[in-house]
Amino acid sequence: MFTLESGSGFWNPILWILVLLITFLLFYGIRGFGKSTYKKGTEQTKAFLSGNKEPSPEEMHIKASNLYWGFTTSMKSLYSVLRKMHTGNTSDYILWFVLVLAVLLLILGVM
Amino acid sequence: MTVLEALLQHSPALIIAIPLLSAFLLPLVSRIHAKVRDVFALVMLGVTSCFVGLLASDVLSHGPRIYIFGAQNLRVPLVRILFEVDSMGVFMAIITMMLAIIAVIYSWSFLHQEDGLDKYYTLLLLVVTSALGMELTGDIFNFFVFLEISCIASCALIAFWVTEGEALEAAFKYIVVSSIGALFVLFAIGIFYAQYNALNIATLAHLLLFTFLDKIALVILLVSLGMKAGLAPMHMWLPDSYGRAPPSIVLIIMSATLASFYGLLRVVFTFYGNVLTTSLRFSLPAHVVIGWILIALAIVSILIGVIMALVQTDLLRLIGYAAVAEIGYMFLAVGASIAALGTSYATVALQGGVLHILNDAVDIGLLFLVAGAIYYVTKKRSLDDLSGLARTMKFTTVFFIIGLLAVAGMPPLNGFTSKFLIYESVYQLNPILSIIALLGSILLLAIFVKVLYAAFLGPELPGLKDVKEAPKSMLLAMGFLAGLAIFIGLFPNLLLDTLVKPAVSALLDHAQYISMVVGGL
Amino acid sequence: MDVRALSEIGLRIVFGSLGLAAFGIFFGLVYKGIDRKLSAHMQGRIGPPFRQPFRDVAKLFVKENIVPDHAIPWIFNLIPLVGLIGTLSILVYLPLGGFPPLFSSGGDLIVVLYLLIIPSLCLVIGGFSSGSPYAIVGAQREMATMIAYEFPFAILVITIAWNLLQKGVTEVFSFSTIASTPVWNQVAGPLGFIGFAILLVVLLLVTPAELSKIPFDSAEAETELAGGLLVEYSGRNLAMFYLTDGVKTVVMASIIVALFFPYNLSALLGLGTYEGMIIDVVFFLFKVFLVVLFSVTLIRVSIARLKIDQIVYTYWIPLTLASLVGLILVMWDSVIMNFFTTA
Repeated sequence: MFTLESGSGFWNPILWILVLLITFLLFYGIRGFGKSTYKKGTEQTKAFLSGNKEPSPEEMHIKASNLYWGFTTSMKSLYSVLRKMHTGNTSDYILWFVLVLAVLLLILGVM
Repeated sequence: MTVLEALLQHSPALIIAIPLLSAFLLPLVSRIHAKVRDVFALVMLGVTSCFVGLLASDVLSHGPRIYIFGAQNLRVPLVRILFEVDSMGVFMAIITMMLAIIAVIYSWSFLHQEDGLDKYYTLLLLVVTSALGMELTGDIFNFFVFLEISCIASCALIAFWVTEGEALEAAFKYIVVSSIGALFVLFAIGIFYAQYNALNIATLAHLLLFTFLDKIALVILLVSLGMKAGLAPMHMWLPDSYGRAPPSIVLIIMSATLASFYGLLRVVFTFYGNVLTTSLRFSLPAHVVIGWILIALAIVSILIGVIMALVQTDLLRLIGYAAVAEIGYMFLAVGASIAALGTSYATVALQGGVLHILNDAVDIGLLFLVAGAIYYVTKKRSLDDLSGLARTMKFTTVFFIIGLLAVAGMPPLNGFTSKFLIYESVYQLNPILSIIALLGSILLLAIFVKVLYAAFLGPELPGLKDVKEAPKSMLLAMGFLAGLAIFIGLFPNLLLDTLVKPAVSALLDHAQYISMVVGGL
Repeated sequence: MDVRALSEIGLRIVFGSLGLAAFGIFFGLVYKGIDRKLSAHMQGRIGPPFRQPFRDVAKLFVKENIVPDHAIPWIFNLIPLVGLIGTLSILVYLPLGGFPPLFSSGGDLIVVLYLLIIPSLCLVIGGFSSGSPYAIVGAQREMATMIAYEFPFAILVITIAWNLLQKGVTEVFSFSTIASTPVWNQVAGPLGFIGFAILLVVLLLVTPAELSKIPFDSAEAETELAGGLLVEYSGRNLAMFYLTDGVKTVVMASIIVALFFPYNLSALLGLGTYEGMIIDVVFFLFKVFLVVLFSVTLIRVSIARLKIDQIVYTYWIPLTLASLVGLILVMWDSVIMNFFTTA
């Protein structure tokens, strides 16, 4: 009743949640044995920058557009094609519509 | 006949009439007081939802219903419009009403400082009317009329922030693209009318011979409704307009978009249901060709959607591209189930696809509402200007994390249930389909983890120090969608058995849909 | 469902998950110790004793649990715990040591594929939430690595399931089905065998990235990022990530064993119930050791760290192509063999 079946496999969310709950309680308890204190407001809580002085938040903040550099760099050729495709011109939007229409007409027309 | 029975009998007409009439009453009501106007819009949508619920319970237990506007008997001159409501139409109507009510609740706080709200609510109700009309009608020309209403009303709503140039540009692009799409639909309808002298979907489906002209009409309907639904490579209008419209409006436009997707399902499964198995050249059945066309476009949508979303910095635009990818998942499931028509996994794939319509509405809707909340409190669109909002906006952060996990299809949220059904069925047609679907989900996760970092985590910027939590009505709307995402994720079978499976069997059983009209009336 | 069946399921859930948690934590740390000792010997060092990981965890529990100024405290503290329990929950779906999975009909291969994202995702969110530039650079690298290796990994999972489907097996994503019908017995000819061999190699190369070990550990990169996404973590929060790393090793190795080497000794040797159980468990632990040796220890001592764009390239181009070749070989396998038998 709670198991989602696809014919090839299954997934029971309730069971997983229960397992998660039990292990959570266990490890939350275990975690409680650990030391919870630290010296607030000292050097400890500054960001670790290999001994350099901490700059202001604006300078230290890594901007969203710099994220996933590794992925975008290795997929550079793909991105250049896609950027060329997204021109932002309404006439190009319609061109794509006409193009898809023509290709599909050709396929179903030949068939 | 009791009152309830009478209301039930006329409910298809009332579902259209109530939002339509209240749309035109709204400017009058709003002269009384702004609060009255807000409550009036919500109450009218609530009443409509009650009728949708009434109709849904009846259709699900007693089968499809017919409602006739105009001539009751077949007499010349025959002036009448048929509404034919089956489980699939009801399913879509429920989604539309859900999105509409949430959008109105959200708008209360989100737009309370703007003016022109009387026109806003009028247009909003008009789009809802048109989406409901597209989902309930049994007449192809009537479908076109509602499609046009949704085009014009949506266009005006996209331009709501009219002082921004980009909003006007997005609205212009939207009206050009969607009215061209709608005119092509009209062209296809002309082809049918010229050949069969009929406009009723069931009658046409019964008469359809799959001539060369019918093939042309099929292609035109597929492409133009696909464009309205945001299928790549005709998706470019979608991030433009989703990115510039107020987020509450995006929910409403999304319901119109999903209604176009529903129209496409109706065209393929019901309209061409009789001729899908006819063999074309090379002894390929028609459904294999149509199915693989849809699959190819779906894969392009998934890949373009996620890859383009990964590099966006405008939050709303980013979610728009993610929405393109989500549309791709639906088309993938539908295409696979058409290509493999008749097998047992085709049914599972279609169940996944139909369930994904709801999940897409919930997840993408939730993300847009969160993005709207961020915009409301910071007045910033670019992710580069945001940071560390989790300190002050705790609830919004939690809702965003739920939306993130749901849209990436992480268990145990709702996105996983439908994607699970899709992965575990489409691989039987071709393993590469499931692989690409899995890849798309990972990329969606990466995209929204980036948003999570950029907007909510990170150091506290001085310019964002005095940011407050979003107002209550916005939190209520987001909370409702987040709760729904968790509920569907934890109890998928509840929804699957009551709504999705009947909807799928209604789609696959085109003979019943046809015989409702052709047999008796 | 009556009370008896319900209480039985309840007991299974409670004791099963507690037992598996103990198993995962214990052997995770044991394999970590073995790995450290072996790699030290390979590099000509003496290395720490085998029980060093246990001591590390005990030590971390008495260290201060620092929350940095720029961190979001509630996410920063919660995420290590979520990562650990998420990783442990995978164990209930895997066949371990000759026993069938604890809940064989609760989740399948696709579910496990998704649950495997949780530990990496928690590392990423933990790194982002700590607000340190090093941690943020590390976290985004971990995410890029995750995108990269998930592509060949997905190809592998789907290929195994698809091949079983072609052989007329039902419920092909279920771990009990996969364990009872080993892939090597489901190939028709040499092509399929080569295909699965390629996929096995790919999986062994995906493992170090999944576990963020050298050469795919640019997210942690001690030399350039000072520990990357873990740089701000200390005390019990770091202990949770430490345990997660150990459990993840056991989980990943158990998945490889379940997918490719699900054989047991007890049936072969004709042993009784209890001896058979013990032999199977020992044999399973040995198989896990072999996987850890080949895909973690040997690779990490012999190769240097790759740059992040090189990692993405490695997984998306050569390894994806290799696994696609594997997929095509498996797809053609029965076609070609049918051709030969009928001709």
